[in-house]
Amino acid sequence: MMSLHALIVEPFETLAFMRAALVACLALALMNGAVGTLLVLRRMSLDGEVLGHAVMPGAAVGFLYAGPSPLWLSLGGLASGLAVATLGGLITRAGARRDAGLVAFYLVALSLGVVLVAWRGSNVDVMRVLFGTVLAIDQRALLQIAAFSSVIVIAIAALYRPLAEGAFDPAFLRAVGVRAPYGAVFSALVVLALVASFQAFGTLLAVGPMLLPAAAARCWGLGAAVSMALAAGFGLAASIVGLLVSYHADLPSGPVIVLAAGLLFGMSLAAVNAVRRLAPTLARGS
Amino acid sequence: MEADGRVLLHDVTVRYGRRVALEAVSGEFGAGSLTAVVGANGAGKSTLLAAIAGVVRLATGVVNCAARQRLAYLPQLASIDRDYPLTVSELIALGGWREFGAFRSPGTALRARAAAAAETVGLGGRLGRPIAEISVGELQRALFARLVLQDAAVILLDEPFAAIDPHTMPVLLDQVTRWHQEGRTVIAVVHDLDLVQARFPSTLVLARRCLAWGATEMALPAMAA
Repeated sequence: MMSLHALIVEPFETLAFMRAALVACLALALMNGAVGTLLVLRRMSLDGEVLGHAVMPGAAVGFLYAGPSPLWLSLGGLASGLAVATLGGLITRAGARRDAGLVAFYLVALSLGVVLVAWRGSNVDVMRVLFGTVLAIDQRALLQIAAFSSVIVIAIAALYRPLAEGAFDPAFLRAVGVRAPYGAVFSALVVLALVASFQAFGTLLAVGPMLLPAAAARCWGLGAAVSMALAAGFGLAASIVGLLVSYHADLPSGPVIVLAAGLLFGMSLAAVNAVRRLAPTLARGS
Repeated sequence: MEADGRVLLHDVTVRYGRRVALEAVSGEFGAGSLTAVVGANGAGKSTLLAAIAGVVRLATGVVNCAARQRLAYLPQLASIDRDYPLTVSELIALGGWREFGAFRSPGTALRARAAAAAETVGLGGRLGRPIAEISVGELQRALFARLVLQDAAVILLDEPFAAIDPHTMPVLLDQVTRWHQEGRTVIAVVHDLDLVQARFPSTLVLARRCLAWGATEMALPAMAA
């Protein structure tokens, strides 16, 4: 029988790559808590998913140019992510069917990215871009993740009121004369967040650690700011559990972390429903 | 209230794609007037308010409103996300947005005004409640209180009385009357023609174009025709 210490502490104590993964996940969880909660509140989950894939072709071009360098992958991803966010905005303004347009982007971007990476790289490279390498984060990548996360958290803290109110009642903001394009600013922050996550979780999974902890936190019906903190906590918990399970069971870390976050979402839903069903009974009993 | 509460429309046309929602509407809402906008479904009533509020693009024409900086717009209740984590007092305090803006918190004076406004619409005991837990009627009262805080010269109300319970109805109507007495310009989309007859001095009848516009007893018969 393994001791608790060997089960939980030792992997991080003895292995530098596990520590780097943990620190990266902490930075990403803090950022994703804020971004994800706003995404859920704005009912933009699908947009997040699409932007996640929009990062793909640009990252692939970065890969073709410089190999698997975190900087070039990120710059490329940032460029194509922002381009698609802008195009998406234009399409909506032109009055086309938004969901169909978004899904079209999503499929084309994903396929284009895979084709570009496979053209010059190997299958391993394709897998790396799609699912990330949370266990192969070096110091440069870690610094980059920390820097991106910090910028995003600070930006959301500064713009919290208009971003939160824009999620609730955007027509009111326009009517009181707010002309700044906070919707576009938020889309840019989502792209930035996805680029930060992309090294660890890949373009296919990056949306998972963003949306699932936030959706889980939202179940509890708390205020927006508290919800963000809870989502960050859920994200960190899912990361720790996911890293340990993947280490002991020799499973791919990114997907296991996303599964752990999904489990938290399911448990939150179940718990809140159980409380709702029990609450009237308890009230009558007292 | 100052005399700049006039709203002038000149040849206002709005299109959604190829569909014409509002066609060549011209006329004037006088300062301090209380006007009901009536018409069948799809007649462009909501579009007219959105055009005056400046939230849809005009295909042709101009909306002239000197009080643009002091205009308040209440869209249909259905456009509000009721699951949003916000309390009644926070919702009402948003009416002071122009005072605190994007980067500052509402001050104590504003909070006191929010509490007073809540009192006038009968929500005094509900300030700390999340909006997800209050009734539709109470939500509409809270939105009216938010409008009170906005202290607007021109107030646009899109179907403010739709799906409202009988206890809330008189509260909302009294508030509309109070705004009218204070000399504010009020433009409301209303379905209940008896209500229009009883409470609104002026009426605008829409069917994409303007069918009639003027004193209610003159204009309203165009609705039946």
